[in-house]
Amino acid sequence: MTSTEQSTEPFRVVVFADFVCPYSFLAVDQIDRLAREYDVQPMWRPHWLHPDTPPEGTPGARSPERTERLRAWIKDMAPEHYDRVRIPDKRQYSFRAFEALEFAYDRGLDFAYKTALYDLMWTEGRDIGEPETLAAAAERVGLDGAELKAALEERLYAERALDAVKQAHSIGITNTPTIFLGKTRINGWTYYEVLQSVMDKQGMRPREALASQL
Amino acid sequence: MTIRPQQSYIVDSANAPWKRGVTEGVAFACQVLLSGEDGGPEALRFRFDDCPSVYAHMHLTSQFQLLLAGAMDFPRGVKHLEGLAIHYTDHNMPYGPFAVSQAHDMLVLHPKAGGIISMANHEARREINLGGRLYAAPASQVEWQALPGAEHTSYKLLMPPDFGPAAVVVRAPPHAKLAMPPAEFGRYEVVIEGSAIMEGREIGPPGFRYVRGEDAAEALETGDSGASVAFLTFDRDALEGGITGEGLAVEAAEAMARAI
Repeated sequence: MTSTEQSTEPFRVVVFADFVCPYSFLAVDQIDRLAREYDVQPMWRPHWLHPDTPPEGTPGARSPERTERLRAWIKDMAPEHYDRVRIPDKRQYSFRAFEALEFAYDRGLDFAYKTALYDLMWTEGRDIGEPETLAAAAERVGLDGAELKAALEERLYAERALDAVKQAHSIGITNTPTIFLGKTRINGWTYYEVLQSVMDKQGMRPREALASQL
Repeated sequence: MTIRPQQSYIVDSANAPWKRGVTEGVAFACQVLLSGEDGGPEALRFRFDDCPSVYAHMHLTSQFQLLLAGAMDFPRGVKHLEGLAIHYTDHNMPYGPFAVSQAHDMLVLHPKAGGIISMANHEARREINLGGRLYAAPASQVEWQALPGAEHTSYKLLMPPDFGPAAVVVRAPPHAKLAMPPAEFGRYEVVIEGSAIMEGREIGPPGFRYVRGEDAAEALETGDSGASVAFLTFDRDALEGGITGEGLAVEAAEAMARAI
């Protein structure tokens, strides 16, 4: 292929994240914006940070001091989220949310679903370990909450979710979010301008720029 | 092949003047130990007042931070450092925000002037070194090891041996010679405890020598009470970045000048 030819391969954007990770929450807006501004369809995949967490969660996993430092970090790095973020007082169980994400994927709404679920947890104080929360997120994006609850009850997506977790482990994901933009891997949260630079270096132009060339 | 001249700077930090400063609302005391204005290394010592959030920033050159006392907390990565500790970043590698507490005292060591740029600067974010390295670890997590062939002398590696830049602390009895290989990209040799004779001058903590060149520098000699010396060696990244006189570098240099 010469440098002037267009690749027929879609430009891959994949984010490995855990719903309980605050830095993954801060990446949601960025990846959603990337999907609006560029011709890409990002995939949100699970990386299970705390598999030892029981379904009812782990109270007090983050000390008050750590919570304060995290809030200070958010204030400095992502001030637009500072007033709306609600840091949970317990570490929540995320595996059921991974199952729900698979359910949404099969219905073509996983990308919207993850945003709704992060919002419920990180701005409305809901517990993603509870099926009611997962169902509420489903309803917000037009999925059938009752159907999701039934699927969770029957563990229809447990094996797939576990396979996804194993896949993340097998390719060496160790922190969240880990963002793949085409050939570039970015470990951890970063600024939107960095994502733009990486896209630019790989020849990806925003839709607006492409439209102006027509 | 161009032969660079041997560089050697010796700094007696204990006798350098202090001044108070404030940057972005963060108050500190500072010593300018090497200005970098001659194209050589830049070294600063900071004592930050307790602060829950020193703003995220980057420097346009490689950097060793040697935390001498107090604590630094990096929420992301849940990294807690207490002196003695090392924090290394490549050029244009952002870090922070971080909290400082417990009578913070730190050396900031650059191979050349690096300026400072707040990550609130959106243009700076486009200049981030995506492949940049960052490493941080407290010395207390590393065991002393006996130095083969040197009686009563021990060392600890503060960075993994294959990382690139290197940080090692050597603890030696009185009047021991501490010879190191040439430092092509520059090396700080910081007295942590005791004293060391550097080219005829006895230097106490946290004084240091900076050497750079293709020939080995004269060996340090420990003083009457022995010494612990941290050897902080840059690699090729030290050649990157710097205050080039244009664009972001101008802002970085001005910001550093305002800060100190």
